[in-house]
Amino acid sequence: MSDDIQRKLQNELDNFKKTQKELQKTIQNRQQLDGQLNENELVKQELDLLPSDGKVYKSVGPVLIKTELVEAKHNVSKRIDYINAELKRVDNMIITLEKNQDGHREGLQKLQHQFQQAQVKAALHA
Amino acid sequence: MAQISATEQKGMQQIDLTSLNIQQLSSLKQQLDQELNLFQESLGSLKMAQGKYQTSGETLEKIVQDAEGQDMLVPLTGSMYVPGKLHDTKNVIIDVGTRYYVEKDIEGAKDYFNRKVKFVTEQMEKIQWLGMEKSKIRDAIIEIAELKVQQQQQQQPQQQS
Repeated sequence: MSDDIQRKLQNELDNFKKTQKELQKTIQNRQQLDGQLNENELVKQELDLLPSDGKVYKSVGPVLIKTELVEAKHNVSKRIDYINAELKRVDNMIITLEKNQDGHREGLQKLQHQFQQAQVKAALHA
Repeated sequence: MAQISATEQKGMQQIDLTSLNIQQLSSLKQQLDQELNLFQESLGSLKMAQGKYQTSGETLEKIVQDAEGQDMLVPLTGSMYVPGKLHDTKNVIIDVGTRYYVEKDIEGAKDYFNRKVKFVTEQMEKIQWLGMEKSKIRDAIIEIAELKVQQQQQQQPQQQS
């Protein structure tokens, strides 16, 4: 009886740890996206400040290539949209993972309780 | 994401710290410790960014109009230079992020760096303020946790007797 619970406990603990790791990874991903969004928004602000004949270059490897301001603005806006969509996706993932984690935590507590009770019983019988 | 704040905000739940048990208090404290660490790190990187923008802005002061044609050494690598001449002293090219570079005249560039320094300084002030608030909450949590531990210790001998 107690062996069975112990095995379940171990199993649940593994699941809990797995979700925890996944959650941490996803949160890291979110932070990275957040940083990228910030950077892109600052670039957009800067590009918006430029006069329409302002010179913009894009670095491709070791060289700077001249780019049209309109094109640069368009690219940055597109990237911001993409990052926002990604952020939404990651946010939803975080919510699901957090729910999973809470579920595993509850399961763990239940099993722990059962395990303790089984131990007490075993001690009484001995 | 979960937020901890001393001031009441929309959509936030108010929790009486004394109603939490020791375990909850300690996990709350852990969370705050992590946040405070993160703030410290962010402050460090912001300070660095601030310094970089400041030096860039100061360097602009050295580029004067009549320096055109002046000889200079251009670094190709950290240890190899080739001679060159200053060709254009009116404009500079600034890295604005995400691999975009923008050409600006000296005044525009100075304005850019001033704005950046101001922006970074504002962010630092915000973080400092938040950090102060969070440390206050952290102190309160520690105080209550200590109180609870004391209460528990007082109750224990009674149970044993």
